[in-house]
Amino acid sequence: MSSKNLKLANVTKRFGNVTALDNFDFEVGVGELVALLGPSGCGKTTALRVVAGLENQDSGQVYVGDNDISSTPAHKRNMGMVFQAYSLFPNLTAEENVSFGLQMRKVNKDVRIKKAQTLLELVGLPTHGKRFTHQLSGGQQQRVALARALAFEPEILLLDEPLSALDAQVRVNLREEIRRLQISLGTTTLFVTHDQEEAMAISDRVGVMNNGVLEQIDTPDVLYNQPATNFVASFVGVMNKIPSELTDGHVEVFGKRLKAIKSEQSAGKVHALIRPESIKVKANSTNLNAKVLTRSFLGASSNIVCQLPDGTIVQSLMTSSGSGDLHPGSSVELEVATSEVLVTNG
Amino acid sequence: MAEALKPKLQIPLVITLTILGFFVFVPMISAFEYSIRTPLEGGYGWTHYLWAIKEEDFLHYIIRSAWLAFLTVLITLLILVPTITWLHLSQSPLRVFIDGISLLPLVIPVVAFAVGAQISLPEFVQSTVLELPFLYFILALPYAYRSLDIGLSAIPLKTLTEAARSAGANPFRTINSVIVPAIRGSVMATVAITFALSLGEYTLTVLLHWDTFPTWVTYVAQDNILGAIAISMMSLIIPFLILTGLTLALPERSNQGRK
Repeated sequence: MSSKNLKLANVTKRFGNVTALDNFDFEVGVGELVALLGPSGCGKTTALRVVAGLENQDSGQVYVGDNDISSTPAHKRNMGMVFQAYSLFPNLTAEENVSFGLQMRKVNKDVRIKKAQTLLELVGLPTHGKRFTHQLSGGQQQRVALARALAFEPEILLLDEPLSALDAQVRVNLREEIRRLQISLGTTTLFVTHDQEEAMAISDRVGVMNNGVLEQIDTPDVLYNQPATNFVASFVGVMNKIPSELTDGHVEVFGKRLKAIKSEQSAGKVHALIRPESIKVKANSTNLNAKVLTRSFLGASSNIVCQLPDGTIVQSLMTSSGSGDLHPGSSVELEVATSEVLVTNG
Repeated sequence: MAEALKPKLQIPLVITLTILGFFVFVPMISAFEYSIRTPLEGGYGWTHYLWAIKEEDFLHYIIRSAWLAFLTVLITLLILVPTITWLHLSQSPLRVFIDGISLLPLVIPVVAFAVGAQISLPEFVQSTVLELPFLYFILALPYAYRSLDIGLSAIPLKTLTEAARSAGANPFRTINSVIVPAIRGSVMATVAITFALSLGEYTLTVLLHWDTFPTWVTYVAQDNILGAIAISMMSLIIPFLILTGLTLALPERSNQGRK
């Protein structure tokens, strides 16, 4: 398969007076799976639709490899696409659906059937070829849709929230399979989702979007641990916002002095941003500064929700074994297990 | 489950269907009974049917009318399917306007329509019988438009179209291999309505001085009323047999019962 890289350069797209994409620059490397993540209305779907040619950008270019495809019509772009809504052709069998793209490319019938069969096997539905759409479950339909998108060996695979309509269990299984297939076929893939867990789980890199611009694009690990902006920090994963005072580039949280990084100001009221796993809850202490509201057992770890005297809610993620004596209503001490924090304006 | 699906015998429904049945079948059965009477010899016989078949004009006019009806169906589908598809996809504000326009043929008297519509056609069409399909198309528009409109509203048109395009289908093939098969029921209904309306159209045809099967039947009726009724019966039965044959011959594709 001859996969290529995908590049968007200075793409702008407006709908009326809403700017869906604002001078958008973005690249997906050869064989890479990149997710665009963001709240609804952030422009991620528009970006994908511009790549597919289903939406025309107002300005800017789209490149596949070295080819400028900015004004190529959708049906000549050679991109496989899986949609959020079930999109199989109801008058065709699963096998005919999968070979549809090949039929449009005038591939002869024997080759088509063989290829469709191979792909149905790849997505785990070897015996479902003769079935019609209404004889398949939601998960199976999306598998067939995936096979259809890959059958004509597209240069780019576009996934537009393909798992959103499915049950939780099917969603997790299918996303793993998408990733496995994507790696084995080496297809350059753009994956749009609003589900951060999904994005983090299967992507090489994740781009976080807000208001038509890319806030940060990096590996899931970097996004989580070194968020570039406050938006990324609070959108990706759970983030506690604890009120504090900034003096001399430092904040004090639960009696501990922490270095404020990437602060736009040097003094004043701020919120310190701290991940739940960086907060420790101690039951036996003389310095009781919070109260436990709930403790949710999650297996190996437990989520403890506490409240500070000023009403601020703080979440802590601890090992279950270390948090067994924390009960709702008991007074506890909170500690910060980090020395650097991001801050936002109070 | 099977018990719940069984249609219950509902009294109002039975009454309605009975009245409707009388309304539809009594005139047909009466006409048939009338057409096999042989007043000269008394009793019943096939005299008038045999007479009609031997009549040279019978075949001539029925073929002409069938041709015109076929062309009307073709024009209707070629114009309406892409247009209504476009109206649905573009979410154009024009849609409401065109919805309204499509109803106009119902309220404009055929007399007014005949003159106006004819002079608006190009001259080379005006002077041939081929102007009729274009005018029949307009007469059938309210029904054909609604039937296709409902069909297209019932499928996820936008997703299917985009799926087809991204798989490499150009606009023509998208309509041809994806949209039309997906609304097959609506298309068949449109074909049936348009075909039947064209085959039976009388007023407009007479006003424009053309001869088709219905006008010929009225002409025959002037001096052979029983013959005319026999011809009418055949014009009812022959298309029915043809359509039934076609329906049975076409491969059945299970595209119903979508989730």
